[in-house]
This record gives sequence, C-alpha cells and structure tokens, in this order.
Amino acid sequence: MKKRRFLSFLVILSICFCLTSSGGEAQVLAIRAGKIWTLTDGVITNGVIIVNNGKIKAVGENVDIPEGAKVLNMSDKNVMPGMIDAHCHIGLSLDILAEMDETVAAVAADMQILDAFNPQAEDVKKALRSGVTTILLAPGYRNPVGGQPAVVKLDTSKANDWVLKRTAGVEFSLMNQALMFDREPTSRTGLVALIKEELDHAKADKDGGFNLPREVLKRVVDANLPAYIWAHTVDEIASAMAIVDEYDLNAVLVAAGQGDEVADMIAKRNLPVIYLPLLLSSKDKDLKRAARIAGSGVKLAFSSMAPKTTLYDLRTSAILAAKYGLDKETALKSLTINAAEILGVADRLGSISEGKDADLVILNGDPLQLTSSVEMVIINGNIVYQRQGE
Amino acid sequence: MKDIKGIFVLASLFLPLLSAGAFSAQDIAIQAGTILPISNAPIENGTILIKDGKIAALGQNVAVGADARIIDASGKFVMPGMIDAQSRLFVIDSELNESRSIAPELNILDGLDPFVKEAPEVAAQGVTAIYIAPGSRSLIGGSGAVLKLNGSMDVGKMLLKGDIAIKAAIGVSANNESSSLGRLANYSSIREALLETKLYMHNKEKYERELAEYNKKKAEYDKKKKANLAEKVDKPKRPARFRPNPTREVLAKVLSKEIPLQIEAHRVTDILNALSLADEFGFTLILDKCTEGYMVAEEIARRKATVILGPVSTSFIDMPSLEYRNHDIRNAAILSEKGIKLALGVSGRDGASSKFIALTAAMAVGSGMDRDMALRAVTLTPAEILGVADRIGSLDVGKDADIVILSGHPLDTFSQVEMVLIEGKTVFERKDQQ
Repeated sequence: MKKRRFLSFLVILSICFCLTSSGGEAQVLAIRAGKIWTLTDGVITNGVIIVNNGKIKAVGENVDIPEGAKVLNMSDKNVMPGMIDAHCHIGLSLDILAEMDETVAAVAADMQILDAFNPQAEDVKKALRSGVTTILLAPGYRNPVGGQPAVVKLDTSKANDWVLKRTAGVEFSLMNQALMFDREPTSRTGLVALIKEELDHAKADKDGGFNLPREVLKRVVDANLPAYIWAHTVDEIASAMAIVDEYDLNAVLVAAGQGDEVADMIAKRNLPVIYLPLLLSSKDKDLKRAARIAGSGVKLAFSSMAPKTTLYDLRTSAILAAKYGLDKETALKSLTINAAEILGVADRLGSISEGKDADLVILNGDPLQLTSSVEMVIINGNIVYQRQGE
Repeated sequence: MKDIKGIFVLASLFLPLLSAGAFSAQDIAIQAGTILPISNAPIENGTILIKDGKIAALGQNVAVGADARIIDASGKFVMPGMIDAQSRLFVIDSELNESRSIAPELNILDGLDPFVKEAPEVAAQGVTAIYIAPGSRSLIGGSGAVLKLNGSMDVGKMLLKGDIAIKAAIGVSANNESSSLGRLANYSSIREALLETKLYMHNKEKYERELAEYNKKKAEYDKKKKANLAEKVDKPKRPARFRPNPTREVLAKVLSKEIPLQIEAHRVTDILNALSLADEFGFTLILDKCTEGYMVAEEIARRKATVILGPVSTSFIDMPSLEYRNHDIRNAAILSEKGIKLALGVSGRDGASSKFIALTAAMAVGSGMDRDMALRAVTLTPAEILGVADRIGSLDVGKDADIVILSGHPLDTFSQVEMVLIEGKTVFERKDQQ
C-alpha cells in the first residue's frame, strides 16, 4: 500500500516535471522590429530577431520566421539589448546603508552581497520597468577591503537562473567614507597601508591556517578575480593606480568622478571605469567629465548606484553624457556591451547577436531620447514587463 | 536767417536725444523656422517683432521696419523662456526657514545670494525665470518670488514679482530630525493658525468699524462743543487700541485670496488634508510636490487645485526621505490626464539643477505625459499658477520678450539652446561648435 502510494506520487511528480519542462521549453519567439540596435553589428532597420530557448537564434533583415513561432509585431519600435547597471544596491532593505557595508571590520573580503539580497523585494520588481535587465549588485564604499559583488539578472522569479556570478570580484575603497573614527584606518595613509598589507599577506600565501578573506584576496592578487576599486577624487584615483601597478591587479575603477583629469593615466593602464550617475551633479563642468574620460580611450560603463539614483536613470546617465559630448554610439555601448565586457559577461550579454541571451528592451523611440519609453522587457526570452495599454 | 539759426539750435539739442532713444529701443525681428507660442498652435516660418523689450507682433506676415535688428533663426525653434517653479538657485542654505513653525511674514527675497556662479549656466539652457519659495521645515514658512535670470547681481532688478504665494508644508517635517512635530500636529497647527487669523480678521474689522463710528461721534462732539459750550455732551469713548500682528496680516491675505497658499504635501493623507484646509477656509491652493498625487487624482481634479509637481525622478535629490517612498515617474502623466493644471519643477539637489527643466519635461513625456502638456508645464502653466502670465510664459503680443532659440525641438534631448533673450536683451548666445 505504502509502495503503491509512493509509486503514484512518483508518477504525479514525473507528470508535473514533464509539464513544467514542456512549459519551460518555450515556443520559438520572433520579434519584428522597426530598428534593432545590435550594438556589435550596427543598426538593422525592419529586422527580425528569432528567440529560442531563451537565446537569440538569429537576427537580421532577411530572417525567416519558423512556422508556429509566436510573433511579436514591433515594426514601429526600437529594440536594444537589456541594459546593464554596473553598480547598484537594490533589493537590500529600506535602511540600505546598514546592509551595504560591514562597518565594524575594515576587511570583509569574504562577505558576499548576495547574502543580503532579497530577490522578491519591491524595488527589484519595480526596477524591471526601467529596461535594466542585469545589475552588478555591490557592497558600499565604507570597507577598505569590502565584500564580493554579484552579477544578477533582474528576472528573479525563477529559482536558479538569475545569478550569473555570485563572486564577481572584490570591492576596495579608497574613498573618504572608508575612514571611520572608531576603527582603523582613520587616515588616508593608514587606508592605503592596510590594503597593501592585506594584499601582501595574500601574496605571500603563508599557510597560517584557514583564513577566508585571505583565500579570496589570493585570487585577486593572482588576477583571477577583478578588484573593483572605489576612487572618486584625483588623489584617490592616484592611490588606486599605485596599488594596481604594484600588485598587477585586474582592476576596475568605480565612481571616478574626477577621472577625466587623469584620463590618460587610466587609459594607459587599460583600467575600465564604472562611472557614477551623471545626475549627481548639475554643473556643466561635471556633466562633461564622462565624455572626456571615454574620449581618452577608457572603456566606460554607467551605474545608477541605486538608491542614490534610480535604475530608470541609468539610461538618463548615458543620454546626459551624450548631450555633454560623448559620442552616441559609445553612450549606448556603455549601457550594454561595454558594461558586459567590464563585468566579464559579454559571452552571454550586451548585444543582440546569435547565441547570446535573449535579454531585450523594446522602446517606442530612440533609446537616447528621454521622451522614449520602455514598453517591453524580455529576459531569457520571457516577457517580464509590458507597459499598460501596449 | 534768425529763424533758421533757431531751428538749427533746436535740432542740435534734440538730435542726440532722438538718436539715443532710437538706439535703446531698436526693434528686433526674429525670423524663425518654427515658433512655439505655447498659447497657440505652432507657426512655421514666422517672425516675432520685439519693441521696447515686449513682443509687438508675431505671425507669418509681420511688417518689419528697415532699421530693425534681424535675428536669423530660420530652421530653428523659437519658444518662450522656460520657468523652473521649484528652483533653489540663489539659495545658500539647503533649506531656508526660521526655527519657528509658523513664520509667514518672512520673505525669500531677504535670504538670496545673487552672486551665484551657476546662474548663467542655467540661463544658457533656456531658463529665463525661476520661482523660489522658502523651505519645508516650517509649517508656514514665508513668501516666494519669481526672478528673471537676466544676469543682474541685484535682486531688485531680477525680481519679476514678490509675494507670489505663502509656502506651507504638511507632513514633511514629520520626517525631519530637527522638528518635533509629528504628522498629526502639522495639519492641526496650520489649521489653528488659519482659525486664529480668521478671528484676528474679525476683531480687526470690528475695531475698524468701531473706530469709524468713534471718529464720526468725535467729530460731532467737537462740533457741538465748539458751537454751544453750555450744552452738556458726553464725550465718545475711543475703542481699545488694536495691535496689528504681521503674522496674521500675511495670513489674512491668504484668507482673502490675495495670495495663494502653496502647500508642500507628498503623501496621500497630507494631500487630502491640504485639500480639506482649502475647502474649509476657501483660500487659493497650490499643491507643491504632490508625490502621491496619482493615488488621489480625482480628488485633486474635483477641487480644481493647481499643482507644482517635482521632482520627476527621485534621482534629482539627495537621500530621498520617506515622503518619496511611493514616488512614481508616471505621476505627472496621470495628473495631467485628469485635467489638473500642472507645472513641472526640477526640484533638484542644488541651484544649478534648474538647468534640467527641459529634460524634466522630456522625462515626463517619457513616462507618458502628453508632449504639448509637458511643454506647457514648463512655460505657460507655471506662469499662470504663479500669477505672472500677464508678463511671461508664452509668446503673445504684449508679453515680455523672454525668448529661447533652439537648434531643434525643445523636447529633443540633443537640441542646443542657441540664444536666450530676456526683455529683448541677449543674455546668452552659443559660441560656435563646442
């Protein structure tokens, strides 16, 4: 009797499994688009994108739509790859500052920000409407050696698929905010010394027992794991570059507000920059800085640093940068493919090309116009947001 | 011969006067590709004629005198100067308030610094006028003013109109550490101040009536006394002296609808409280910020309250307080769809943010607002709400020649402001290509 019950349970279970998997085995999707901004292959007018199994199967002007495919007619719309927010702090809690940093310990390289992330949080769901499909979920800037940021997709409704990288790197901070009065370091010199000391220990790899932060930092000094270094002012950036030089790190600069003033030095080291949100300043001088940094050959990605600005204004950053001198193509690339390259996920994201994830944003106009709105967002081939009335 | 000499002398006396007059009042004719008057439909290939700093004529067939200065704006867009109705340019303190919670007699003009470096940057983006109101820390915080960004360093010369509205705030200080007033006390304290004002007005009226009566009786008495010294007449008694109160005097102007009450309210309860205050006391209400307005759009529309909405995105402000918890970028679109008279303000983190007014309008369009309504919301509508539409806000004959010339449509992010005129004087002109 018991056995039979178990058997029937198994049968039901397998039926369920079949059903869900056939449901998951999504039908082929064909999107007819007025304009396709591929980002790696120019702009295609009146093209078609074929999506199968969450991946882009084909894209072009003369692409046959397979029989039985679900067709989305977007012939008067613009389609671009899902945007990537290269630095933000959403899905934590209302009192976000408390969850971004470990304020008691100065070194927290073993902390994983994903452990504080609530994928069902309201701001995560709201953020989907912005056209951002992937984020670098990051710790804050108050730890000299901070935690590990993660690369996640915003379609967090499915159980497994949304974490692209649980450990995307290790964060470091050379910002003033990393100094505190009640724990070391309390000075700029102490801050740099502490970071170097930690890296030295990791490099020496003295087998002094189990030390989790050191294990992680070992991967950083081996250049297996990128170092995301917060540095805003010229002197902070200079300190960052000195550390990068000394330890030969695979590094990315974060914030870099005054990066334009040392742009050549950043370019020479091939350091990419995750630039701060442009709306943080309203002065013409500051609004022109992103264009100057990129103009020196530095690869740029944008960030919302949410909740500092909202994910909706990730695109605003690119638009403002373009209005104040950045060429439009670079502005769009910084929202997509360049960001994907900087975060190390360009094999899957950042452009509309065969084999990449079907993360797409459909807008009713040019993506670089503020008057254009996001009408539909697709992640892994699934429509995750559709504007009312569309 | 003598006559001729006299004429010559006379002529030589008048000539410099005449020429000087002609020079200062040289007509300007802007020949535009597209004129967006805002109050009327766009005019293609039209001309705007400016005389003495005012718009003298506009249309496709405007007669231009031979001596007029011609500004060639063919292929370009010409529109009225934009207005940021939530500016903090020239404001030094992050919040301009007294520590008192009821201080309507304060005037924002007394706390401005005209020597702000960023003012020309703001004008260069087509903003010709700004409205500055006191902060939201006081429940009733004083009167706001409209200034023109004409490059003067003299507040008096920038001033278009003072005493535009008395600024109040409900609920905002509930989230403010420096204030001990909770949300409940906010509403009742403002109500109490208005009730006391009502009583004050009543007492003042009574006093004035009694005083008039007394004066009349006194005159009679004096007359009788003079005429007949023998007759015994009672000397009339002077009414008890009435002390004028500056706080109540200002609020009395609100209650008599001379000045609107601009109430900053973010959350639904506070917006509804502001509406019920307006119902009870009958003042002219301007709802300021109105963050959760979209949740009670019907109520606002029914009361015919006007709205100065902002910021369009919380990215414009530092550390948005809990008042902004339910901020929705579609707010402007939803409210204006209900027919509510709505101006858009930048409400930025600093003074220079006012330059983002055209972007604010574009962002509102991006979140669903009608294009024409959005443009109106940064020009004519704020002028109407602030009571300065007789001077600015649209391109109409008789209004100030505050004009912006752009390379393209103002809602196109990449349109460049080419020239800005205020009362016919050029305050910005773009230098070549950057």
